[in-house]
Amino acid sequence: MSRGKKKAKQEITWKEIKRQKVLLIWSAFFVIYGFIFYYLPLGGWIMAFQNYKPKDGMLHSKWIGLDKFKFLFSDASFIRVIRNTLAMGTINLVTSFVMAIVFAILLNEVKNVVGKKMVQTISYLPHFLSWIIVTGILHDALSSTGIVNEVLQKLGIVSSQINFFAHESYFWPIVAFSNLWKETGWNAIIYLAAITAIDPSLYEAASIDGAARWAKIRYITLPGIKPTIMILLLMNVGNVLNAGFEVQYILGNGLVQKVSQTIDIYVLNWGISQNDYSLGTAAGIFKSAVSIFLILLANRMAKRSGEESLF
Amino acid sequence: MKKKSLSDQIFVICNTIFMVAFVVITLYPVLNTLAISFNDGIDTVRGGIHLIPRKFTLQNYYTVLHKQNMVTGAYITVLRTVIGTLLALVTNALLAFIVSRKRFLFKSQLSLFWVITMYVNGGLIPVFLLYKNLHLTGTFWVYVVPGAVSAFNMLVLRTYMVGLPDSLEESAQLDGAGYMTIFVKIISPLCKPVYATVALFVAVGQWNSWFDAMLYNRMSDKYTTLQYELMKLLSSVMQQSGSADSMRNSGNSITPASIRAAATIATMLPIVCLYPFLQRYFVTGLTIGGVKE
Amino acid sequence: MKCKKLTALLLTAAMTASVLAGCGGDSAGGAVTSNTDGGSNEGAASGEDGNKDIIDFTMFIAMPGPEINDGNEIQEIIAQKTGVRVKETWLTGQTAAEAVGTIIAGGEYPDFIDGGDGQMALYDAGALVAWDDYLEKHPQLKEMYSDEEWDRFRQEDGKIYWANIFQNTYGESKATTHNDEAFWIQARVLAWDNYPEIKTLDQYFDLLERYAAANPTMEDGSEVIPYTILCEDWRYFCIENAGQFLAGYPNDGSVIVNTETMKIEDYNTSETTHRYFQKLNQEYQKGIVDHEFATQTYDEYIAKLSTGRVLGMCDQWWDFYGTVNDVFKQQGLDLEGCNYVPLGLTIDEGMENMWHTYGDTQNLANGVAVTTSCKDVDAAFQFLEDCLDQEIHDLRFWGVKDVDYQVDEDGLYYRTEEQRMQWANKEYQASHRCVYSYMPQYRGTSRDGKNAMNPEEQTSEFFSSLAQPLVDCFNAYGVTTYVEMIGSVDKETGPWFPMYSFSSNMTTETPGGVAWTKMGEVKHEWLPKVVMSDSFDSTWSDYMTAYEGCAPEDFLAEMQTELDRRASLAQ
Repeated sequence: MSRGKKKAKQEITWKEIKRQKVLLIWSAFFVIYGFIFYYLPLGGWIMAFQNYKPKDGMLHSKWIGLDKFKFLFSDASFIRVIRNTLAMGTINLVTSFVMAIVFAILLNEVKNVVGKKMVQTISYLPHFLSWIIVTGILHDALSSTGIVNEVLQKLGIVSSQINFFAHESYFWPIVAFSNLWKETGWNAIIYLAAITAIDPSLYEAASIDGAARWAKIRYITLPGIKPTIMILLLMNVGNVLNAGFEVQYILGNGLVQKVSQTIDIYVLNWGISQNDYSLGTAAGIFKSAVSIFLILLANRMAKRSGEESLF
Repeated sequence: MKKKSLSDQIFVICNTIFMVAFVVITLYPVLNTLAISFNDGIDTVRGGIHLIPRKFTLQNYYTVLHKQNMVTGAYITVLRTVIGTLLALVTNALLAFIVSRKRFLFKSQLSLFWVITMYVNGGLIPVFLLYKNLHLTGTFWVYVVPGAVSAFNMLVLRTYMVGLPDSLEESAQLDGAGYMTIFVKIISPLCKPVYATVALFVAVGQWNSWFDAMLYNRMSDKYTTLQYELMKLLSSVMQQSGSADSMRNSGNSITPASIRAAATIATMLPIVCLYPFLQRYFVTGLTIGGVKE
Repeated sequence: MKCKKLTALLLTAAMTASVLAGCGGDSAGGAVTSNTDGGSNEGAASGEDGNKDIIDFTMFIAMPGPEINDGNEIQEIIAQKTGVRVKETWLTGQTAAEAVGTIIAGGEYPDFIDGGDGQMALYDAGALVAWDDYLEKHPQLKEMYSDEEWDRFRQEDGKIYWANIFQNTYGESKATTHNDEAFWIQARVLAWDNYPEIKTLDQYFDLLERYAAANPTMEDGSEVIPYTILCEDWRYFCIENAGQFLAGYPNDGSVIVNTETMKIEDYNTSETTHRYFQKLNQEYQKGIVDHEFATQTYDEYIAKLSTGRVLGMCDQWWDFYGTVNDVFKQQGLDLEGCNYVPLGLTIDEGMENMWHTYGDTQNLANGVAVTTSCKDVDAAFQFLEDCLDQEIHDLRFWGVKDVDYQVDEDGLYYRTEEQRMQWANKEYQASHRCVYSYMPQYRGTSRDGKNAMNPEEQTSEFFSSLAQPLVDCFNAYGVTTYVEMIGSVDKETGPWFPMYSFSSNMTTETPGGVAWTKMGEVKHEWLPKVVMSDSFDSTWSDYMTAYEGCAPEDFLAEMQTELDRRASLAQ
């Protein structure tokens, strides 16, 4: 099952077209569908270059060129929210990836079928809790009288209570943790499905060869789900700027706002609450541009090293 | 052999501890929500509810389930979940099938075309205008048609399909099978685990969504959804505890937190029950048998 | 086999789909739902006699609110009497501006609308019907405001498009509660010190300190929290704007208006505010101010107050009283004197305070409007007028006589305890009550000259809900209501009041609006820091540096221009 074979550049010949007629007809359908539902609304991007007013619509609003972009990039706090967003996005990306994969693999090693099923069903329950509930519980747990402080004090690790939400240095780890807590089980579903695709006879053969558990994980399971890992990694690289909104918004406060605010919160503060659609659109375009740049870069790197690529 | 089994044992013990810890930490917020959902709303505000309700009541569930239009909402939600999932599964699988064909002429271009859709977004108003012009607003179809194809699901499916041996397709073609036959008869049966995954993703998304109901069917109750009704309930409860101008009423033991908890549990249950049903597709591994490369 | 199953499933799906398409098509129009016999409505516009075709109107209100059931009892009674039924839809999960933005983009409006923050956009889009001609035809509607007040609603084109329906008093004011901001203190703290005169911030904190030293714990052993401050998100007004009140000014919100010089002043940098924060800082160091105040969420704050442990705080009444008072009642804490009473503090002794403003605050920014999509504009305005009819008004706010309230021999309305409970019940609200809470309405005295327009302001209703410690407290100070308790001077506010109605609508298009947003960010960060600082003076000067960096002068200049405009308009 070796992948990354040399891709012979295919020639477009009539014969080939005829052979793939069905595929081409369906692709045309998907292109038209995608164009209508995803690309057509992009016309809305012109709002970023206008002073958009609902009454004028997009056709008659005043053109202001790059003013909104200039406003964004001349604002020191916008630069800061980019930093925060990138940092939290990256931390979340790495931790959630590692955790989901580790969890899926370890769960797969559980031999007790009932236990396995139970753990998995429980593991994805938090996915259904809203952020408000999750952050509420987290806020409770980390408050000065919460369980975390209690345990730390009992163990003698700290002498006085820590106010976790008052220190900038704790904020990013707290956000990363809350993400892990909520989504690890859910994220692992894809990997578990991928693991089932691995040919069981490979494990049997390895057992006969006397391979230890670690060896099997390393040489069979991991390579088996590598394509899935790569694809998801690539996709999510483009998502680092979507580091979230709700968690930071709910858990943040005035004292840590320098590290807690993300691009989405910035847009809320500056755009939406003041009816400024144009600013929000400009920030959206910026995010899209960065995402697509990252995706192209990552895809190219993946292709070069002969890994699975997105396109 | 002995050494190996020792390390094996250590692994099993560590793994078990890890799983138990994981379950405990994961389960707590869920059980806490459950406890709050059964606890008197005003009493909950005092704090200190952990796993057991202090002042038991069914009032929260009563309020949630007795909301007007809940039946319509449930009906539409079930319908959109079923139709939406089936539609999304068929379209995404077909698209994934096309772009996973090694010989397909435009597979890279078509993939890129879809990958880009994940990262661009025209914004609320242009999308609204589009749906309006397509006469989707004010209909049921606005829930299932626009999201039928998603690049994410397509890529998950594609990755799985690419992993299947090429020889499957080749041998079928030698037998004179067309692409559609290969898709339906050869590839799809092997894709059960990943179909189950994608179905779960889409179903959960459909089940939980409410924003589209609010945006596109705001003024009519005909196509309201379960979650939209709950959101309306929640925001109205929220409103009454904090605005200068609107009417006030006291003596009521319903609070946003308790309603939220009851709503969470009530909508979580049906969709959670879906998983064990899908899970059996994950348990059986692939048996590709004779056609290995 | 499997394949057949799938096909069968798909077929079923397709069939269900086509059924849906059948019923989906006809409502594709969307927003306006007309009732089945909508065609025969013409000509049934006005008049008071029942049994005629009822017009179904829709209304969107860009605020979250409670839905009522179809077939709601009072709604039906009102429909019989007025010939109009209004289906209300509320804001959910969006900002008002977003919701209104999409409605405008769609171009189809409900019959009535209150656009909230998006009201101006509706006017700009030409979606609203001018009131001027209709006001002449509907004297009861016109009676809502004086000519001068109506003039303030005029837009740039000189016409009136909406009327705000809140805070509009008919006859004599019946207000009993102080709905706005104050330094609050538990009645038991005042009782413990034999109801002393507390006039200044220093006296306030002195009392809190002494009480906390003498009574460090609650009965259940938990420690009391002498003073806490909420500063989460937009609710940070609890820490932010006390400076203007302490200096003796009313709630202009974002600035102080010096009535002598007619100049805008910035309270953020004023000496009073400096002293206020210095005091908070000292009290924080002493452990009087809750050490977790800066990171608590609104939910945690309310939970904290609900335990009765918090002796005092600065907040607006509506922000805390609902849940907190309910918990107190449930836990019996109200009988221990945990309920809060307002104090009209100033920075120095002998100053007048203006925490409470007596007149109506006319909010010009939004209100009920009739849209150009309205099915029957005449009927719509007739309904707006009918809403103010005393009979309809009583139905909306008091309910049905003998069912929801009783009338005693003097003609005074009252509720029995049972009726009170029923009126507050959620189920009952949905199936029976129909307030039309964003339609024209009054506060103050009913046209019968005895009752209150709104039961909340009915004196008997107010006293029946008052716990004994509060009664004792009010008696000790020789007052009868919260309003008298805070003892604000009854001075007319200027025609420009409140200035926050301008600053809250600023946009980033002007330098002042940019400065305003930046100032908000800086204050969010620095005000808690200032209170928590080990060296107040240096932190304060750091804060001032950051504050000056936002160019507050741009903001103040625009406020001055607006003040001049409003003042000249009144002359």
